[in-house]
Amino acid sequence: MNGEDPQERPEQIRNIINGLERYNPQAAEVLEAYLQQQCEDKFCDSNANRALLKLYQLNPDRIKDEVITNILVKAMTQFPSPQFDLALHLLSPSHSNPGPNSASDLSEAVSKLRALNLQLERAEYARFWATLDSDDIYADLTTDIAGFDEMIRVRIAQLLSQAYREVQTSVLEGWLGLDSEAEVTKFVLETCGWKVGDEGVVQIPKNADNEAKKTEIREDVTVDMFSRVIKRSWEDSA
Amino acid sequence: MSYQTGMAPARAVEDDSDVEEEALVADYKEQVQYGGGMEDLDQASLAQQADDIQSRLVQAAQPLDFQATLEAKFQSYDNYCALFHYILNSEGPVDLEPPSYYWAWDVIDEFIYQFNTFCSYRARIARQANNEEEAQILRDNPNTWGCYSVLNVLYSLIQKSQITEQLGAMRRNEDPMAVAGPYGSKNLYRMLGYFSIIGLLRVHTLLGDFSLALKTLDDIELNKKAMFARVMAAHFTTYYYVGFSYMMMRRYADAIRMFSHILIYVSRTKNFQKNTQYDSITKKNDQMLALIAICVAFHPTRLDDTIHTALREKYGDQLLKLQRGGPESLPVFEELFRIACPKFISPVPPDFEKPEANIDPVEHHLAVFMEEVKTNMWSPTLKSFLRLYTTMDLKKLAGFVDVKPEELRSWLLVNKQRTKQLRWTDNGLLEGELINISDLDYALQGDLIHISEAKMGRKLVDWYLRNLSRTYA
Repeated sequence: MNGEDPQERPEQIRNIINGLERYNPQAAEVLEAYLQQQCEDKFCDSNANRALLKLYQLNPDRIKDEVITNILVKAMTQFPSPQFDLALHLLSPSHSNPGPNSASDLSEAVSKLRALNLQLERAEYARFWATLDSDDIYADLTTDIAGFDEMIRVRIAQLLSQAYREVQTSVLEGWLGLDSEAEVTKFVLETCGWKVGDEGVVQIPKNADNEAKKTEIREDVTVDMFSRVIKRSWEDSA
Repeated sequence: MSYQTGMAPARAVEDDSDVEEEALVADYKEQVQYGGGMEDLDQASLAQQADDIQSRLVQAAQPLDFQATLEAKFQSYDNYCALFHYILNSEGPVDLEPPSYYWAWDVIDEFIYQFNTFCSYRARIARQANNEEEAQILRDNPNTWGCYSVLNVLYSLIQKSQITEQLGAMRRNEDPMAVAGPYGSKNLYRMLGYFSIIGLLRVHTLLGDFSLALKTLDDIELNKKAMFARVMAAHFTTYYYVGFSYMMMRRYADAIRMFSHILIYVSRTKNFQKNTQYDSITKKNDQMLALIAICVAFHPTRLDDTIHTALREKYGDQLLKLQRGGPESLPVFEELFRIACPKFISPVPPDFEKPEANIDPVEHHLAVFMEEVKTNMWSPTLKSFLRLYTTMDLKKLAGFVDVKPEELRSWLLVNKQRTKQLRWTDNGLLEGELINISDLDYALQGDLIHISEAKMGRKLVDWYLRNLSRTYA
């Protein structure tokens, strides 16, 4: 799974999440600092972040709202994957569902992030960028995560390359959340290493996923498969 | 399982581990027949040494009455604390033999069951806010049946018994006794430690921590040699929770494999189950069928004949609706999830002052799960159209399914992304390799969709073997 066990994880964190230390409320501080490092250094350790959410689950008095939202934004950058959902499952129901008369800032923020994440999971990329632009709260929520926009954009491009051989620049513009065809061309050439052909058609190199090759699955029959029958008939006759 | 190695590795392979199953069935048969004698023996020996501690051991494995009063629930918690304190904190290992082979499982099972029902009960009292007397008692005793104490008991039993080290040694074909230590070499500790691992699997699932749940089983190999396989209820419980956790992690192929394994096993042992035991299993059995229906809707695959028949009998209508997808399928997903999910709990005491703030954790987990269902709900429609063509214009297809082209592009991307799934091969339950689970593949060239379908050659060997064994029998 994406962002589950990154190489960057230091020894100290490994010891916490693999041992009983993960239940020590004091470990929260170490994990919070580690989350900060993930936000700055642009990597994601969802496994360690879940250990932190677990500590919050068991010790609600330790909860820091911005840590929870940062974990969710980090998990979101791993789309499509269960990471965001796995983090949500660890939140208290009241934190993730703003009630009619008990809406807190945290539950408000979580429900905004849920909606945003769904747009990524549902490949509604143009809508995602529009939502992100629609309210200042999103800028606040993602401000701690260095290179958020760029990470999402690169991930979208990567996912598109698994389905597309050719795609119109105009379509890409919306999906990548860029403002002009020139910007798209720049991103496609410099970041993705793809080519732009005639009439703004972007050519994506062949890979294992965008070929849609015909295959035939055939049954391979080996002697082993019959070993039981043979053994039995031998025993019966003996 | 060497007979499977010949199959195409990139695609999902059928996993009917018949050989292991056969051994399990034989083992279980032997146990059940043997069981009768054991009980007599137990009773005889109990009569002889009817001392206090033995009866407390037996008591700990007894189910608490369903309608037990709050006082009885508190009392039961104190009894468990006292017993585990005695077992864990006496000077050196206590010299006791477990009353029966099943005892250790029964104790851990009952302990967690009571924890689970207590948390649900407490949350209900807070939500309904109409029983001030009990609410006050619960408010005054926030640590009774506390999550930390339950986890503490389970982890302590695991550590004391060195069970992790023992299982590691067994995996390397070494003598577990060499690393068992003074506690772990005793039956009582070894069994309690072992079943505490399964207990943790369960507690983590109840708390919604599905990946940690699977991680706790790292040291246990799910096969016929596993200790839990000798206790039917433990065997059953393990597969239910593992399967459920896989499902929540979107690993449907693995979930189906787990549920199938245990359901086939149950159907094979049905005839020599004792009635009382079998009754309690029937409910879980139906739950797992419901979960299989959900997983198959996400990941269409060929099921074992026995399971397919049972599924059609029990949830035939629902299965059809799930497989058709679309908004009409959503209530059915919800219904089956509710029937089949564990009784999720919140680890901390509820807020008695704000009844409406205490949302049932089941609703929370269901809501998160349903989002993923909704994300996928158009895939069946999409696939049914794509199967008809080898190339297709996107705008034309959008007209057929009556959506805007942008929307159809999203559907195509979603469906394509979801065909890659992590699937277990060996090592820990969380490990796996990414495989393509669909027989339908496509790629887009601008608005032109190129479609290819993997042709399934007929599979005859399995059919042949099954019928052959039927004829023999």
